[in-house]
Amino acid sequence: MREFLVDFEVLFNNSIFYYAIAVMISYVIFTLLSAVEMNSYMKKNSYVNYREILVSPLAPSVSILAPAYNEEATIIENIRSLLSLHYGNYEVIIINDGSKDSTFQRMFDYYKLEKVDFAVNYQIACKEIRGVYKSKLPSFSKLTVVDKLNGGKSDALNAGINVSAKDLLLCIDVDCIVQEDAILKLAKPYLEEKYQVIATGGVVRIANSCKVEDGKLVEVNMPRNLWPRFQVLEYIRAFLMGRMAWSRLNGLLIISGAMGLFDKSVVIKVGGYDHNTVGEDMELVVRMRRYMYEQDRRFKVVYIPDPLCWTEAPADLSILGRQRNRWTRGTLETLWVHRDLFFNPRYGVLGMLSYPYWFFFEWFAPIVEFVGISVFILLAIMGNINWEFSLMLISMVYCFSVLLSTVAIFFEEMSYKQYTKGADVFKLLLAAFLEPILYHPLTVIWAMQGNIHKLRGKNNWGAMTRKGFKKEVVNQTENTAT
Amino acid sequence: MSIFDNIFHYIGQLYTDRLPYFPTNIRASLMIILFCVIAAIEIYIYILFKRIVKMREEKQIKYWKEHIGNVLANIIVYDETDNTAEIISHFYPRFKKIPLGNKIVNQIVVNEILLYRKNFTGKTAEVLSQLYRKLNLDKKTRKKIANRNWDIKIEGIREANEMEIVELASAIIKYTDDENALLRMEAQAAYIKLSAREPFHFLDRARERILDWHQVVLFEIITKNKKLTIPSFSKWLYSPNDTVVMLCLKLIEHFTQFDAEEELKRLLRHHNPKIVKKSVEIIGKLELANAESFMFEIYFDQSEEIKLEILNAFGRISSGQYADFLSSRIYSTDIKIKKEALYAIKRDPDNGKNKLREIYNQTTPENQALIKHVLDDRIKQE
Repeated sequence: MREFLVDFEVLFNNSIFYYAIAVMISYVIFTLLSAVEMNSYMKKNSYVNYREILVSPLAPSVSILAPAYNEEATIIENIRSLLSLHYGNYEVIIINDGSKDSTFQRMFDYYKLEKVDFAVNYQIACKEIRGVYKSKLPSFSKLTVVDKLNGGKSDALNAGINVSAKDLLLCIDVDCIVQEDAILKLAKPYLEEKYQVIATGGVVRIANSCKVEDGKLVEVNMPRNLWPRFQVLEYIRAFLMGRMAWSRLNGLLIISGAMGLFDKSVVIKVGGYDHNTVGEDMELVVRMRRYMYEQDRRFKVVYIPDPLCWTEAPADLSILGRQRNRWTRGTLETLWVHRDLFFNPRYGVLGMLSYPYWFFFEWFAPIVEFVGISVFILLAIMGNINWEFSLMLISMVYCFSVLLSTVAIFFEEMSYKQYTKGADVFKLLLAAFLEPILYHPLTVIWAMQGNIHKLRGKNNWGAMTRKGFKKEVVNQTENTAT
Repeated sequence: MSIFDNIFHYIGQLYTDRLPYFPTNIRASLMIILFCVIAAIEIYIYILFKRIVKMREEKQIKYWKEHIGNVLANIIVYDETDNTAEIISHFYPRFKKIPLGNKIVNQIVVNEILLYRKNFTGKTAEVLSQLYRKLNLDKKTRKKIANRNWDIKIEGIREANEMEIVELASAIIKYTDDENALLRMEAQAAYIKLSAREPFHFLDRARERILDWHQVVLFEIITKNKKLTIPSFSKWLYSPNDTVVMLCLKLIEHFTQFDAEEELKRLLRHHNPKIVKKSVEIIGKLELANAESFMFEIYFDQSEEIKLEILNAFGRISSGQYADFLSSRIYSTDIKIKKEALYAIKRDPDNGKNKLREIYNQTTPENQALIKHVLDDRIKQE
């Protein structure tokens, strides 16, 4: 028995070691790729005058789709902010997804809405649309409000697609703070790529503790609370390193649900957002990609490193846990629905690289970690641990994790430098040391919970409570959440 | 020994005496740890160093920007003489005192002169152009254009463009068909402005694609430049380069060049559907009634997108010749086609709305809903 345990420990150590090495190598490759992509983007775009696209009649037309559910506290300000974006040819479609509060009434009164005889072309299935409204005031002519039965975020977006009149769809969370030049930057790849661009996404940043006035971000600050601060680090790492590298490889599987610009014709062809998943943002991109492969059409999904959208991150651990639980379920659902892509050469980068990567290193990694830690504890209890070697292996993972976060902060410093105060950067660097100990284990637990909930058939969004940028706003979501 | 001494001693031993005796994975781990620690420390130092340098640079830039801005502002308000040479000789010594040998300061001078030059015309613009030359900045611009790096070349081309250094047009033309898309676009944009005789010569030799983005930029430059003599763009509609054809179609539309009618009819049979669609759109906008029969001929072989555009064009032309055809389209199975046909009928300035009301009384409930939609002027046409 003793011998078996020793052999098992060696096997266990080696397995964890080689898996960790594989993950680390993938991160190193992604870091290099993203450095190349960022550098190329920054160099190329330093010569761009976005004003030309702003005023041009040749600029692509954009429909902004923003589902709203029980947003009465902030809806007026959110719409005002969307109507003041810097772009020529766009419309704003707010989809009231059967709110139970006075969201619709507030919009109706403030924007002087009236019902129009809109004949909806139900190209994509969605719950019944009760009415389409336009403002009587010419200054709000860009605004359209859709009032529909509650059906969740995906359903609301699908209803918006059915009503939209423009060529590109900017799907956003209504409570996000959108940078004024966001559409200009997101639309540009559609005009400059050799192949058809089917989706573009930009960097989403954390707005906790930032100063917001009239729906606009006026001062960037590091979150005072530790949990959102860890998320700042996490977002910088994910967006500036991960997604930029995938963009370089043309293997992006996800455009953030908070903000993404899509080619409407392709979205309609694939049937719009899927109602049956909580990871609708990832699922849509995967479905669009596989459609393009099946049609033998060359295409690109592009990510740009500009910070275009600011969102409030959960500061409460239970809410954060629910969000991460949902993300895991969303990933699992997408991977399961599209399981035939796994190492399928017909789907090029999608089948041979992106899907397997997500399977092994995004979905499977927390499971490996969880099992690893559990077995480690078990072996420790049984007295079968070489503590010195174990400590070295743990130190290796810890040091690598700190280095990775440090490189992410370095990327941020060399590019957009959103945190101008030295103290903020110091706090971020400090967070890089604490994150693997305090925050990361929680994300593993939440991911495990997500997997277990999925296996048990749980399929709801979970309640999300937001503080709001101006005042305390409780936004209990039933189906629509962000 | 203190606890720290013990730790250092232990780590020292790990990496020296004990290292060869560890299993491979442990040795690799130790190496990775060492690499991570060194790399992280280097990054911290670099971030700190970069921040300090940047702070100093920003201070320097702020100081020189203000100083140079003041001198240039003085040129603008200087009213003791109208003679350009006198003004330059008055201000030249002040510029000579500026350390132009310093790269950062030199670039600030260039940028500030470009900025002022862009915002002023007449005497001030003339003075700034001559001052630019007197300070030998035009020679640096020429050098930049000849540089090996594409980004420096672009910088030079932009400077030549802003300062209107026309003699550099010949140096720029060769880049108008460069492999690098950004360089190509900058060169094309500059060439239009700098070439007095043949600003559109680059279209004759363009083999590389003019990306949609570049078309936006060129379109803006061409349509906003009042000094340009606008040629008939139909002569480039024979170009083998589809992107040249697209750009010219957009310009034909903007400048309402009716002489392109025959070429537009020919393009209805072009292999590129984007060109066909654009041609149809222009035929509609220019209300070329003679082209209606050509559009009708191709209608049934086209994609939905082009069919919609053709229906739209029939509506814009509203000659009445295809009124029955439009009416028949409202019984199509495609809602988009129905809607577009209804909009086309509505466009008839004489009788459109009444015609729709007539159809309303005789058609299906689905079509009635569509007619109500089309007649509601608060809803913009897709």
